[in-house]
Amino acid sequence: MAGEQLALTVLMGVFLVGVVALLSRMEDLRTYTPLGSGSAGYGDETSHGHKPAGLIRWLTTVDHKDIGILYGVYATIAFVWGGMSVMLMRLELTTPAMDVLAGLGGNAFYNGLLTSHGITMLFLFGTPIIAAFANYFVPLLIGADDMAFPRINAIAFWLLPPAALLIWGGFFLAPLTGGAVEAAQTSWTMYTPLSAEQANAGVDLMLLGLHLSGVSATMGAINFVATIFTERSGKVNWANLDIFSWTILTQSALILFAFPLLGSALIMLLLDRNFATTFFAVEGGSPILWQHLFWFFGHPEVYILVLPPMGLVSWILPKFSGRKLFGYKFVIYSTLAIGVLSFGVWAHHMFSTGINPRIRASFMAVSLAIAIPSAVKTFNWITTMWNGKIRLTAPMLFCIGFVANFVIGGITGVFLAAIPIDLVLHDTYYVVGHFHWIVMGMIAFAGFGAIYYWFPLVTGKMYQKTLAKWHFWLSEIGVSITFFAFLLLGYLGMPRRYATYEFSGAIAPLTQITTLHQVATVGAFIILFGQIIWVWNMAQSYIEGPVVQDGDPWDLKETGQHSREFQWFEEELTADEDSLALTDGGESDDEIRADGGEVEAAVRRVDDE
Amino acid sequence: MSHADEEEDGGHHLPAVEDWPRGFGEASWWPFVTAIGAAGIYLGAAMYVLSTGDSALVPLSYGLGTAVASIGLFLVGLYGWTYHAFIKAYWTSESTGVGLRMGMLAFLGSEIATFGAGFIYYFFVRADAWTDLPHLVESGNIFSSLVIVNTVILIISSVTLHYAHVALRDDDRRRFVGLLGLTLLLGVVFLGGQALEYYEFIAVEGFTIAEGAYGSAFYGLTGLHGLHVSLGAVLLGIVFVRSLFGQYTPEKHTSVTTVSMYWHFVDVVWIFLVVVLYVGAIISV
Ligand code: HEM
Ligand SMILES: [Cu+2]
Repeated sequence: MAGEQLALTVLMGVFLVGVVALLSRMEDLRTYTPLGSGSAGYGDETSHGHKPAGLIRWLTTVDHKDIGILYGVYATIAFVWGGMSVMLMRLELTTPAMDVLAGLGGNAFYNGLLTSHGITMLFLFGTPIIAAFANYFVPLLIGADDMAFPRINAIAFWLLPPAALLIWGGFFLAPLTGGAVEAAQTSWTMYTPLSAEQANAGVDLMLLGLHLSGVSATMGAINFVATIFTERSGKVNWANLDIFSWTILTQSALILFAFPLLGSALIMLLLDRNFATTFFAVEGGSPILWQHLFWFFGHPEVYILVLPPMGLVSWILPKFSGRKLFGYKFVIYSTLAIGVLSFGVWAHHMFSTGINPRIRASFMAVSLAIAIPSAVKTFNWITTMWNGKIRLTAPMLFCIGFVANFVIGGITGVFLAAIPIDLVLHDTYYVVGHFHWIVMGMIAFAGFGAIYYWFPLVTGKMYQKTLAKWHFWLSEIGVSITFFAFLLLGYLGMPRRYATYEFSGAIAPLTQITTLHQVATVGAFIILFGQIIWVWNMAQSYIEGPVVQDGDPWDLKETGQHSREFQWFEEELTADEDSLALTDGGESDDEIRADGGEVEAAVRRVDDE
Repeated sequence: MSHADEEEDGGHHLPAVEDWPRGFGEASWWPFVTAIGAAGIYLGAAMYVLSTGDSALVPLSYGLGTAVASIGLFLVGLYGWTYHAFIKAYWTSESTGVGLRMGMLAFLGSEIATFGAGFIYYFFVRADAWTDLPHLVESGNIFSSLVIVNTVILIISSVTLHYAHVALRDDDRRRFVGLLGLTLLLGVVFLGGQALEYYEFIAVEGFTIAEGAYGSAFYGLTGLHGLHVSLGAVLLGIVFVRSLFGQYTPEKHTSVTTVSMYWHFVDVVWIFLVVVLYVGAIISV
């Protein structure tokens, strides 16, 4: 064991050095001028920008655009961590026996990876990558100066890195403490009694970290609600509020009720573990209470994660179809309907726990009902493309992939919502397949689509289009191979959450299962390869991609779709050109005149000095 | 900077014009400091966990020390943040405070969920695991005169706060400051009563948080509520000090409004709590 632990320590060390290296690279990012805020100050302070240089700029920023970028970088790091852990798991699963991970801790290590993968992808990648887009673009889309509370915005972000360190803490401490503290092995659902009784302090660290990340998400949600309600410019009303902001508003409302409830449940679990309370003990609230509380949070959480990506696709897909979003109003109504209904379906995760059959049936009804607004959206996207002038750019490819994957992910969900089917398929790979079609096939895909769509706006550079298409096709093919294999594995009865599968042939056809696992692993490597291309493309294009000079890089004016954020971008480009001529750095005179407050502020500051 | 819509009234308002570090418009150390302080509290809790059990990995003092230091750092950050965001520019800011009121409303919505989880636990126990009750519940002594007095005190504090606000709007400053101070005092007395009750129950009656299903609910919910009252008292204290420094006018009193919303909310939660957790425990259906 000692040797392997040493190896693991070295691996962690390398990872941390990598992070530090990344941070120090940020020093160079001082040359990064987000368009529009890099111009110099006003009055006589031409030597100052609005922001300090170097690393300090990123630690102190309260600019929503910078914070959006920070969220994006953070989510990408988490995506890499979650991806690495799942690749180790997929390698282990190529054979029925325990081999690849045998030296690293065997089943316990596999369980740790499983837990870390789920929690990381949902809480440290999913929520933050959405926050990245929301921070950067919601204020631009609604014509606000910034978020309603810029400082709370920054606090919410800075709670996340410590949260990740706590959540992953078990991995770091295992080699240091000789295995006395290990990675948590509770799975992302943290079911009691297992999670209450595992003595490992790594579980406590993870619960604390999760709580911290929940505080961050709640602060963010409060901020978005206040921003969208009160900071809209005069020209933006509820009837023409863009679809992405609508989904962020709905998502924030869901977060407000879901995350604090999880937060309390986590604290209750911590108290059970450390102070002999009985919240989830048999003689107290019972283990089933955990499941109720967790899924009352957990099901809204899946919509917290999927509604904004749906908003992104509803926003981007029409741009490359040359048509307006079909049925804008119905897409919004369906968003709101999903938001409300999502609090009434949680027990479909608990069909096999022996809850009251009448209650079970009503949850089945609501779960089936939620498929209706979901289908409304799907048909709206398809009708938007129908007869449109479709341009297969990378963002559009990801949008189309998103819709296709949703059809499979959604329909498998409807199957699972039917009690008799769920009783057979519950806790098999079918469930894992269902939600991966959605979380990878939709949430990640929408994220990639949006990253490509807005890459020119955020970086001022253009990405490499061929590589982006490779990224899409490898991802789509990899997703299809891996997650179809999962669905088939589920039909064959392969239970989820196992590192080995050496069952007797009487229970399940072992050869087929082995083959399907190998297929899934191959698919996972195809996905991995696609993502490596993506990271390379992003880094390389950011550093030396062609500079975008056109305020309309997607030719949206032709179809009258040159939307607010790109109008802003265009103004910034022209302002930057002007600033070459102006000594005061692009602050045109008429603007200062138009803005009494700012002049006053400048005067005040001069007085103070 | 031309991102502001020129046609409209306002240009681009920088969020942190006079902050530390000075001389920039979009930079402030305070959020970072606040977040590190807050995260340090969690780190302290984590170290506390590591210090328990058979083989302590760190001494207990490390965890406690980290927690205390972090709370200090957190409060410093909080001070810097709120000072620069709200207090320093109080007289010059043109904010109508509608965003802050909206934010407080959203926060209170989230608080419903925070308390909800604890109440749901209690209802589970009340309905399904109502055995093995502590003798305080068996005898009905859990609902003591202390609770009644404390409840009355908290209700009165809501009333005094309301009339403080009315007085401010009527531009009766003396009355405003006086009633505000009285509210703060009542809040502190409530907390004292709560501490006294805990002392009675734990030290005298031997009824602790580990005392079965009801004990978990009792200390979980009253503890959570007590934390909220403490935070409320801090907020009231800030408003009180600001009022002593002459801030607030009949037109400009956003934080009086938001803190009132919070205080009334905490008051209502307490009444609900008394009804279900104290009275609901001793009446038999
Ligand atoms: C068409 C709407 C949907 C329906 C009817 C549906 C139904 C279900 C059902 C019944 C289960 C429980 C399966 C079981 O454990 O036996 C389930 C699991 C799951 N679903 Fe969905 N689903 C839908 C959409 C979504 C979406 C949009 C997401 C993600 C963003 C999602 C994520 C998940 C996850 C993560 C699980 C597994 C939870 C776990 O046990 O770890 N589902 N779904
Ligand atoms: Cu669900």
